[in-house]
Amino acid sequence: MRKLSATIPLLALTLLSVSAQAEVETRGNVSLQLQAFPNDSVHEATQDSNFSLSTEIEFYAPVGENGSFTATPFIRIDENDNERSRIDMREFIYSHYGDDWELNVGVGKVFWGVAESSNIVDVINQNDLVENDGSSAKLGQPMANLLLIRDWGDIDLYILPGFRERTFPGISGRPRPAGVIDTDNALFESSDREKHVDFAGRVGMVFDEWDVGAHLFHGTARDPLFRFNPASNSVVPFYYQYTQVGFDIQATLESWLLKAELTYSSGDEIDDHSSLVSGFEYSFYDIKESGADLGIVAEWMYDERGEDSTDAFQNDVLIGLRLALNDEQSLEGLLGIITDLDEGGQLITLEASRRFGSSLKGSLQMTIFEDVENDTAFSGFEDEDNLQVELSYFF
Amino acid sequence: MSVRALKHTRNLSFVVAGLLFAGVAIAQTPEERGLEIATMVQAQDDGFTDSESAMTMTLINRSGKKSTRRMRSRVLEVQGDGDKSMSIFDEPADVKGTASLTHSHATEADEQWLYLPALKRVKRISSKNKSGPFMGSEFAFEDISSQEVDKYTYKYIGDDEVDGVAVYKVEAIPAYKHSGYTRLVNWIDQEKLVALKVEYFDRKNSPLKTLTISDYQRYLDQFWRAGSMHMQNEQTGKSTILEWSDYKFKTGLTDKDFDSKALKRIR
Repeated sequence: MRKLSATIPLLALTLLSVSAQAEVETRGNVSLQLQAFPNDSVHEATQDSNFSLSTEIEFYAPVGENGSFTATPFIRIDENDNERSRIDMREFIYSHYGDDWELNVGVGKVFWGVAESSNIVDVINQNDLVENDGSSAKLGQPMANLLLIRDWGDIDLYILPGFRERTFPGISGRPRPAGVIDTDNALFESSDREKHVDFAGRVGMVFDEWDVGAHLFHGTARDPLFRFNPASNSVVPFYYQYTQVGFDIQATLESWLLKAELTYSSGDEIDDHSSLVSGFEYSFYDIKESGADLGIVAEWMYDERGEDSTDAFQNDVLIGLRLALNDEQSLEGLLGIITDLDEGGQLITLEASRRFGSSLKGSLQMTIFEDVENDTAFSGFEDEDNLQVELSYFF
Repeated sequence: MSVRALKHTRNLSFVVAGLLFAGVAIAQTPEERGLEIATMVQAQDDGFTDSESAMTMTLINRSGKKSTRRMRSRVLEVQGDGDKSMSIFDEPADVKGTASLTHSHATEADEQWLYLPALKRVKRISSKNKSGPFMGSEFAFEDISSQEVDKYTYKYIGDDEVDGVAVYKVEAIPAYKHSGYTRLVNWIDQEKLVALKVEYFDRKNSPLKTLTISDYQRYLDQFWRAGSMHMQNEQTGKSTILEWSDYKFKTGLTDKDFDSKALKRIR
């Protein structure tokens, strides 16, 4: 993607000048972010605060009667972490719409899943981990996608030519454990490396209050294993080949949302295994006629490999509280506590946001790592608690 | 003779019979009369097929401070059930591109989806929340949802006037679950068969809100649509004004445009 990155500023400029003419719609935001790390780190990144600036702008232009082109560059400039200062094309995609079908070709973003804690069925895009936003930021994925809308449901087919490596904090980045992941020397199972062509498909159906999806993925795992690379003398991501089948199910029963994501994964470099994320959200609406809603979230994340799991949440429970005031400023918050049932560590997160005036939005994210010393996935994060405050201007 | 003409003849014979037995007609109960008016209101809107419109919503707090939301909506008429509708939000800027889809039903629970453009995520959401505020306004979800005759039971209270216009006063009691109201009083223009005013009574049966509807315009020589709605909260002093514009009818929308997948491509 290096070559693509170099052409992006040029493309962005072209897009800006094109959008000055009619027909092009833009929307986006510019955000100032301040991160605070109350504890001294045990590694090279010793800053207790970090400042960064980001922008994401979507340019949308209709093409003919039934098509459109969307380009969404994302840029972040970070005070400390070079891995975080970057440009990514979140979308650069042409869409053609038929009556009951749709073709999307380019770089795009797709979300699959229903759960709150972890979306194990969400396999199309790579996580943009350095964003530190609870895995919702994703790197643009090259794709050709055909969507067929049928009376009984819909079918999505994907050819994914080209793989995006996960981003990891650099030597001056926080939060991170003591070791730095060497992203320049990643290993691949396939000799095609990041040029391996992956395939995926999903069928979605709605049966009254049940929304059900089944998917198949074959190709390079987005979630890497980690290996020692003797050539570079560093810990590197190892991207293996695998096949995954899975289901996502949600029942929407008045105050109850019942959710499940289920996968079975099979590959030469991993133990074949099934994984599950399942739980519920129960909401109290319009509490005491105040307009406010309070939701209780409980989910269990399970990987049958147990302690040998490469998933951070191999036997963990999320208990969460969601509050939405539904007021003029749209004040809302989510407190989540994930407890590892095997190792006892806890990941506590608090997210909150509200609007200021008509174009500004403030958001806050707090992450606390509790008793993670013995946790396979989070050991080394003991001193990486962080508070992230962001002010965004939307247009 | 066409079926339609046959129907008219049959209706005419009913009218004649009604005249002959006028004494029986007087025996119509207030409930029957209320349902009859509600049915007439609904019937005159039959056949709009689909419509599109734009809306500006102004929230006014007690001290008079205003804030604005803008959205567009599309509605598909569904014969024999509730309509399908889609709303696309343009303002405030942080929700630009967010879209909601509702498949409403007369008696069963509505089906609802929300599209979050930043995540490219379509979320199925519960439609249980009837009484909560829509976009932080004085309009509750139940106030702006598809109005179907079966959603209420009715009682005709009497005739009255609103600004010199003769109206029927009809009380409506929500028949669906989780309403924030014990009852509504509708003031219905006798000639146009549209509501000019609605009074809402909260769960304790105290006056909660008053809705004033004005600037009705007729489209395709048949369908009345309001230009302005003013909702005054009598308990908090806050109010919300909805202004509708750019109405279009029979634009050729189909079921496929109201599929949850269509939320992603909507503009």
